[in-house]
Amino acid sequence: MTAQQPVKFMTIEERLNVNAWDVDIYRPHIKIKDPDKCRYCEKKPCTYMCPAKCYVQQGNIVVLSTEACLECGTCRVVCPYENIDWNYPRSGMGVWFRFS
Amino acid sequence: MSSKFDVIVVGAGPAGLAAAYKLASAGFKVLVLERGREPGSKQVYGGRIYAYWLDKYLPEFRKDAPTDRWVRKERVSLMTDESVTTIEFEVVKPEKTSFVTSLYSFTSWLGKLAASAGAKIVTEVVVDELLRDEKGRFIGVRSGQDKVYADYIIDAEGVNRLLLERAGIVPRLKPELVAVGAKEVLKFDNRKIMEDRLGLSEDEGLAWAFAGWPTEYLPGGGFLYTYRDSVALGVVVYLTAWRQLVTPVYDLAERLRTHPYIARLVAGASLQEYSAHLTPVAGISMAPPRFSYDGLLIAGDAAGFLMHAGVLIRGVDFAVASGVLAAEAIKEAGRPDALSRYDDKLKSSFIIRDLAAFRNADKVLSGQFAFNDLPKLVNALMRNYFTIEDRPPTIASALKTTLGESNVSLTKVLINMMYALAYL
Ligand SMILES: Cc1cc2nc3c(=O)[nH]c(=O)nc-3n(C[C@H](O)[C@H](O)[C@H](O)COP(=O)(O)OP(=O)(O)OC[C@H]3O[C@@H](n4cnc5c(N)ncnc54)[C@H](O)[C@@H]3O)c2cc1C
Ligand code: SF4
Ligand code: SF4
Repeated sequence: MTAQQPVKFMTIEERLNVNAWDVDIYRPHIKIKDPDKCRYCEKKPCTYMCPAKCYVQQGNIVVLSTEACLECGTCRVVCPYENIDWNYPRSGMGVWFRFS
Repeated sequence: MSSKFDVIVVGAGPAGLAAAYKLASAGFKVLVLERGREPGSKQVYGGRIYAYWLDKYLPEFRKDAPTDRWVRKERVSLMTDESVTTIEFEVVKPEKTSFVTSLYSFTSWLGKLAASAGAKIVTEVVVDELLRDEKGRFIGVRSGQDKVYADYIIDAEGVNRLLLERAGIVPRLKPELVAVGAKEVLKFDNRKIMEDRLGLSEDEGLAWAFAGWPTEYLPGGGFLYTYRDSVALGVVVYLTAWRQLVTPVYDLAERLRTHPYIARLVAGASLQEYSAHLTPVAGISMAPPRFSYDGLLIAGDAAGFLMHAGVLIRGVDFAVASGVLAAEAIKEAGRPDALSRYDDKLKSSFIIRDLAAFRNADKVLSGQFAFNDLPKLVNALMRNYFTIEDRPPTIASALKTTLGESNVSLTKVLINMMYALAYL
């Protein structure tokens, strides 16, 4: 096999950038019900189980941004405190898969 | 959307569209409601569809469904960070038993088929609720302020099944029941390069599963499928892994792509899409108590019709077949309160038979043997056997060294191996 250039690890932000979206900036479809509860959530599984890194830990709290959400449903199921209010984006909004 | 329909189908996936196609062909007035922009736009899978049951339930697919590549080679690899042991299977004479294509293209094709038979597919509609009358019978659906009514409702909403939860038919999804898959579609400028690197002749397809390292030895696995000029590369990990997983899920697929063994196979291919989706892992264990209710039938992933045999996932053929059976049940029933025949049809079909046979697969497979001990042991064994230093090893001496290093007994390995292989 011919010599190849070393592969670069692409960050999740770089990878999400190739997708097509129709973002509903006015109405986030997912919300953390009680942000205070997250302080006591020991492992904060949403922050590493979400495949799009929508949940980011800042100090003791968790900040959710839904723009890059892939609508998989993982966070809803994995949150040990049922602290996520989860819905689909409004009609036709959200991610638009074309090659998967 | 005020007119009344005979049938409303929620979800334009393989299950819903197969049902819609069959019913519309039989003269029913069918409305399909889909939240995405077009059929397929919210769907993600691994990459391969099995033909056997499609031939029985939807033989139309042979005519013009998009089949990028028919699978010629099957590979299963047990992977560690430093080595890979692969079993490759190939039939000498090419057969057309499963094909690789994107779920998006397959679903688009099925959508066109259903529409040409007369089904009305309305996209960009999120259904919020299944409507019931005072007697509890299902009579329609609500989306925002709009309500539409029909004699029959088919729920084919997929794995997240919010509507069934809201209707009180199934409990909230639990981590034990599902896995998340994250996937990269990597496009080659020149498909010859892809074929050469993967050892394929023109148009031949490859289905490749990886156990061990891709999921940090936790239940699940990696996959690689060949589309026409791109590969689908991804990792599926059971949600029960949330306590042990170190690499975040959002980096798992990229971590696999950059594993030195995979990196050289896909070097130069550019990322076309990054996607993720849940999948049932417990199959029939996540089924609703019944599949038919007054006025309502449940098909596809929403019903738990999915087989998770180790690292291989099979859901599309189950979804299509259950959609077709739902259509038959409606055709024969003649009234919305006579739908229990759908449960009977499922029971006498391969769907319930096969899922029942694999009822405990997820439990066997979520034990640590298949994904942790097996890949590590086999790779250590291969290394001990193939490494020539001082004295040449025999298989027996390599096995002895390997088991000595790992502190497990040969009996335990053999017993577990049989169990794991029965399902993997
Ligand atoms: C990572 C991964 C790999 C897989 N690999 C394979 C594989 O290689 N081979 C295989 O055969 N199977 C595979 N599967 C399984 C397969 O994808 C599913 O079994 C199949 O897609 C199920 O079809 P369905 O029609 O039941 O549901 P879906 O395909 O999920 O379709 C449901 C549809 O309903 C729509 N919908 C949902 N809720 C609403 C609502 N409230 N209102 C309006 N519309 C709604 C959705 O947008 C979607 O279009 C895989 C799955 C995953 C996640
Ligand atoms: S898992 Fe739930 S409770 Fe825990 S940090 Fe995330 S949202 Fe908060
Ligand atoms: S639905 Fe999936 S992608 Fe969206 S925030 Fe939840 S875990 Fe992340």
